[in-house]
Amino acid sequence: MNKVMSNKWMIAFYIMPALLMVAFLIFIPLGLSAYYGLMEWDGIGAMEFIGMENYITAIQDAAFWDSALHSFLLAVFSTLSLIVYLAISMILASKIKGADILRKIYLIPMLLSSVAIAQLWIKVFNPANGMLNRALMWLGVENPPAWLANPDIVLYAIFVPILWQYAGFYILIYYAALKNIPESLIEAAKIDGATPIQIAYRIKLPLIKGIVKVTVVLAIVGSLKYFDLIYVMTNGGPNGASEVMASYMYKLAFSTNEFGYGSAIGFLLLIITLIVTVIVRKLTEDKENIQY
Amino acid sequence: MKKKAFSLLVLLFSVSMILAACSGGSGDGEASNGDDKVIDFMHLWPEGSSAEHNRIVQEIVDDYESENEGVSVNIEVLSNEQYKDKIKVLSTSDELPDVGMTWPAGYLEPYVEAEKFAPLDDTLEGEFGDSFVAGTTSAYEVDGSTYGLPLELNVATVFYNQAIFDEYGLEKPETYEEFQNVVDTLKENDVAPIALGNKDRWTGSMWYMYMADRIGGTDLLTEAINQDTSFEDPALIEAADKTQQLAQSDAFVNGFNGLSDQEAKSMFMNEQAAMYLIATWDLPNYTTNEDVPQEFRDSVGYFKFPTVNGEGDRESFVGGPGVGLFVAENSDVKEESKDFVKFFAEQWGEKSVTEAGVIPATKVDAESLDLPQMYVDVLDDLNNATNLTLFADVQMSPEAAEVHLSQIQALFGGNVTPKEFAEAHQEALSQE
Amino acid sequence: MKKLSYILLYICLGIVAVFQLLPIIWLFLFSLKSNREIFGGNPFALPREWLWENYAKVWEGGIGLYFFNSVWITVVAIILTALFASMATFAITRMHWKLDKLVLGLFMVGLMIPIHSAIIPLFSMFLNVNLIDNPISIVLTYTAYNLPITMMILLGFYYTLPREIEEAAIMDGCSIHRLFFRIILPMTTPVLSTIVIINMIYNWNEFVFVNTFISSDQYKTLTVGIQNFIGQYMTDWGAIGATLIISLLPILIAFIFFSNKVVEGISSSAVKG
Repeated sequence: MNKVMSNKWMIAFYIMPALLMVAFLIFIPLGLSAYYGLMEWDGIGAMEFIGMENYITAIQDAAFWDSALHSFLLAVFSTLSLIVYLAISMILASKIKGADILRKIYLIPMLLSSVAIAQLWIKVFNPANGMLNRALMWLGVENPPAWLANPDIVLYAIFVPILWQYAGFYILIYYAALKNIPESLIEAAKIDGATPIQIAYRIKLPLIKGIVKVTVVLAIVGSLKYFDLIYVMTNGGPNGASEVMASYMYKLAFSTNEFGYGSAIGFLLLIITLIVTVIVRKLTEDKENIQY
Repeated sequence: MKKKAFSLLVLLFSVSMILAACSGGSGDGEASNGDDKVIDFMHLWPEGSSAEHNRIVQEIVDDYESENEGVSVNIEVLSNEQYKDKIKVLSTSDELPDVGMTWPAGYLEPYVEAEKFAPLDDTLEGEFGDSFVAGTTSAYEVDGSTYGLPLELNVATVFYNQAIFDEYGLEKPETYEEFQNVVDTLKENDVAPIALGNKDRWTGSMWYMYMADRIGGTDLLTEAINQDTSFEDPALIEAADKTQQLAQSDAFVNGFNGLSDQEAKSMFMNEQAAMYLIATWDLPNYTTNEDVPQEFRDSVGYFKFPTVNGEGDRESFVGGPGVGLFVAENSDVKEESKDFVKFFAEQWGEKSVTEAGVIPATKVDAESLDLPQMYVDVLDDLNNATNLTLFADVQMSPEAAEVHLSQIQALFGGNVTPKEFAEAHQEALSQE
Repeated sequence: MKKLSYILLYICLGIVAVFQLLPIIWLFLFSLKSNREIFGGNPFALPREWLWENYAKVWEGGIGLYFFNSVWITVVAIILTALFASMATFAITRMHWKLDKLVLGLFMVGLMIPIHSAIIPLFSMFLNVNLIDNPISIVLTYTAYNLPITMMILLGFYYTLPREIEEAAIMDGCSIHRLFFRIILPMTTPVLSTIVIINMIYNWNEFVFVNTFISSDQYKTLTVGIQNFIGQYMTDWGAIGATLIISLLPILIAFIFFSNKVVEGISSSAVKG
């Protein structure tokens, strides 16, 4: 057994295709990007080596830290919303009538591209004609806010479509995980008189813990490098009130010709994400490593 | 069984290898169809959104190809944002197309400094150079050489809805006091006075620029941008103050800082706002565009930005050339490309105004062409213009433009004082 | 009491379902309106004029070829991603070697790179190997950039696979390849379906890489069809809506198909294996 499963050639055969692709197409660009971060470069003319200057500038750049804070907030909200998605998945995966069709309906918005989602939510948030404010006015709210124009609100307003956009993704994963639990375990618990809530908490949750941890990491990493809807819906504005790290980086690298500095920000984004991920993994680490 | 799985993998690998190997050849093949010289040309008028522009380009290219045996033009079309991003990526690898589109001044300068664009002075010599409206080619000038052939000329004016104005007995304003009166009357009657989509920020910038032009005189803003004078000039601060007061007085539609220009435009076009400051690229919407109801088109007029404090020259405009053609310095068909851009600019002028409703940067004889009245008026205004101030964000380097644009949004939103606004500009501009 | 709570539960589930369906209805109505109506009117009002010509416009724009490209690029990239990710996950979770944790860490770092950092280096790399304006560059990029997230999802499932099965298989003299392709892969059908759905959505809707690496019309994909309607000063939103609806249909169908596969649980395939 052990001999077969530790054959070096076999291991190489199985790991290499994926590893080579990631090494070439992700790690080399990553290295180059870190290298560009050491340059003064507008992306057009000649490069000039300036050492750590971009990184030092970034550390003193209030706009960068603001955007980092916004990204962190998004990560926190994304992680918290996982609880809701998990609860929905538990309901959908239980044997209630119509669960199958409901599940499909719930996941449909996930199929839409960001272009469509952005347009939809721009229309929801429009201060005069938007669905949200029309509903609020119908309910008697006198002066509903201009959701995307008010710097105090915009960040939270834009989190809503982002969280909504990814709901389907996590529900899909949780659902598959829950369906993977052997039916016999649940039946046995039922015979012992466990309530559905007990089953969910005592049996299902521990069994899919591995997947839950994975989704926590995915939610955090995904949030820290999030870009799409922010770019289309607010472009980080007004006045940077909804700027996140990735949109700030994009602005520097592609709009204002500070490609070197933008690359440095991109690399910092990765470092920050890495640190946060390591911390989260440590916090959620099991004392005893259960193998099923 | 093992064999089957293994051979599947081998197959997959070999297929991708073969595909990769084949591709190596085809990449080169494209660049040389026989002995033909190929000019790679990138533009930003997709067929779907800019059908007329796209067709005219194709026509010009076809004509050029038939007149020039042995030269063919390979066209790539991208949408505006994607175009800018792609040019950026291409320039990092020194892979710019032979001919492409550029914006003037601040956008163009880094490319010129890096010697990516070829000077077009020899092309512009003689009659051809004189065919451009005065001041348009100079926007593409760096250190005395011209690097782009302008195709469009846009000026910003205030469009207004005559039907709404009539309803409340309003006249087009000539002074700021009259303008203020129009705004107040509309507000009293619960009509949103002005559509503004300041998420895009250059939209708000035009309001500020006109204030600065009227209060500080036609050259002050440009001088401040070039740092011939300080941006903390009292007139520029006053202009900021006036702009801010206007924004804080509910003159603009609710939530303007979160609206895109497109959304603001549609509010104007759905008669939800009475006025809208935009450049003349929007003229087709108010004249020839069949998708817009005739009734609405008939009720739209425009007026020149009013005088402020009884000062200012109403014949001075904010605007400037939009996109222009560049030729890449490292092009292997540079001479052909220069010849092509000249041919293109010559052909573009008349065709673009009659067929696509573009105000071209080359002189056109409005009399001889069958144009809607509003075009005739605009062309007339352009002929009588005393000054044309290039859009501020276009004048500035991209870094300074970003400061300018975010300061505009902050000024309109009341997040900075006029003084801070001027200071931030001064700081950014003095670092150049 | 129990019945009442069930009714309440169904009402809640129903309301959420309605909200999730609204975007599709909205998008459909959107695709039949003019710009003026899209931005002015009530989003759920029926179009004043049903502009079916938006769809005609989109077809005339040559969307057929884009459609074909989207399909094959998406499919090939999904197959490569699912296969390579499964193999690598298998090696990391099932085989015995020292560096497995380190390699896993490398894959996780791959998850963290923002694509706009990568795009310029990638462009110059593909340029050097002559893969610019070649769909291979797109397939390779999609595969590589989806590998980390796909592996993360697979990982959680591989850890839960019972060890007894493979031990029994190896005892019986089953080779590793047979174990992987005939036993492990079929056992992971539900999660494979899940990752197919996720990869499909990512690949189908991606446009940054396509726009950057591809210039010839013959290799462009559906998302580029959308760009066709975004103009310098004017954008034809109705036509964009029509493109979005057309491009939604195939993945909607594929989604329903694979979504059913997710249900076919582990127990049934394990018995067969």
